[in-house]
Amino acid sequence: MSQRNVTHWLIHHAARHAPDSLAERLEEEWLADLETRTSGVSRLRFAVGCCWATQVIAYEHQPSTAVASNAAAHTLIASTDQNFGFISLRSSTFFLVLSLHVVLIYGFMTALSHTHKSAVPDPLQNRDLPRSQPDRVPPPLPTPNLNHVIIEVPNIETNLTYEPDPDHSVTTGPVDEQLPPTPPTPSTPHVVKQMAGGPGAGFPDTADFYPSLSIHLGEQGVSTVRVCVDAKGRLTSDPTTLKGSGSARLDEGALKLARAGSGHYRAATEDGQPVSSCYPLGIRFQLKN
Amino acid sequence: MGKKDANVRMSLQTLRVLESFLENPTEQLSGADVHQRCHIASGTLYPILLRLESAGWFVSQWESIDPSSAGRPRRRLYRLTSTGLRRASEVFASFNRGVLA
Repeated sequence: MSQRNVTHWLIHHAARHAPDSLAERLEEEWLADLETRTSGVSRLRFAVGCCWATQVIAYEHQPSTAVASNAAAHTLIASTDQNFGFISLRSSTFFLVLSLHVVLIYGFMTALSHTHKSAVPDPLQNRDLPRSQPDRVPPPLPTPNLNHVIIEVPNIETNLTYEPDPDHSVTTGPVDEQLPPTPPTPSTPHVVKQMAGGPGAGFPDTADFYPSLSIHLGEQGVSTVRVCVDAKGRLTSDPTTLKGSGSARLDEGALKLARAGSGHYRAATEDGQPVSSCYPLGIRFQLKN
Repeated sequence: MGKKDANVRMSLQTLRVLESFLENPTEQLSGADVHQRCHIASGTLYPILLRLESAGWFVSQWESIDPSSAGRPRRRLYRLTSTGLRRASEVFASFNRGVLA
């Protein structure tokens, strides 16, 4: 029985045990949704899940008919609790164990066959290598034609005489004259006053980006993102998470907030002039008590 | 469907299903679409969909395509009702009230 037939049989089997009013609809719906699954394991998981869904649906629909009947309803509900509505507990357990075995065996077969296939190398093939050229003696290098070169150095006669200039005589001794003040040499470089950037006016509210599920789960924390902002407070690149809060949902919310704040950042300044810069931005998600 | 009880037990999986519908309340989603968005197994997903439909939060109908021309079977599409939209919004709003500004 092929994998496709197994999944179709499982869904047909599951729908057949659903309440009568839903059986045809569920089978058609599940077969249609099964077509969206591509991998064999996924299809098998889907079909097994449908079997479980049938049990739950049958269990939830059973009390409404039982309560409408007479005093025997209590007995019926009690047996429903034990037997999941339409098959015995023993049968359902056996079916569940069997399904798990099928899934495991199928998973092992597909995973191991893929591993072996990739591990086995391609078959060896003989191939003629090009014959190497016999050793050949390289031709002798041409001998350089070295001629005697005579370099004549002209004889330069120098006749230097020094006559002292009476107007520019050099004297030694203490100097009484005050030397003009020399300009002060800069001993320290010019210090640039830098101001870090941050959220500016009109920056979005953190609460608007608090994920709903995180609120439900009570998740709190601080997510630090890295933002690069130009002189006008606009993002120049997509923000990235520097340090997570421990919750992927909160980190994603922080990134959305950082993106939404583009144009509302306060740019960093150097000597009072706004400049482009990158800096970390801590975003705290905290619930009210 | 069976019982008409508007009070639905809010499990985490139910909230995730509702959240996927609230992203675009007018959109019709099949079970496969919901699975792709919130990755809930079929054994849990379909009972939730039927439970919400039974409670009047969802309505469902068959996809209006010709299976032979589309090359695939028609799907069952679920959509939030006005009641479902209001109740789901109330559920999520009750969480948002606890958030610091």
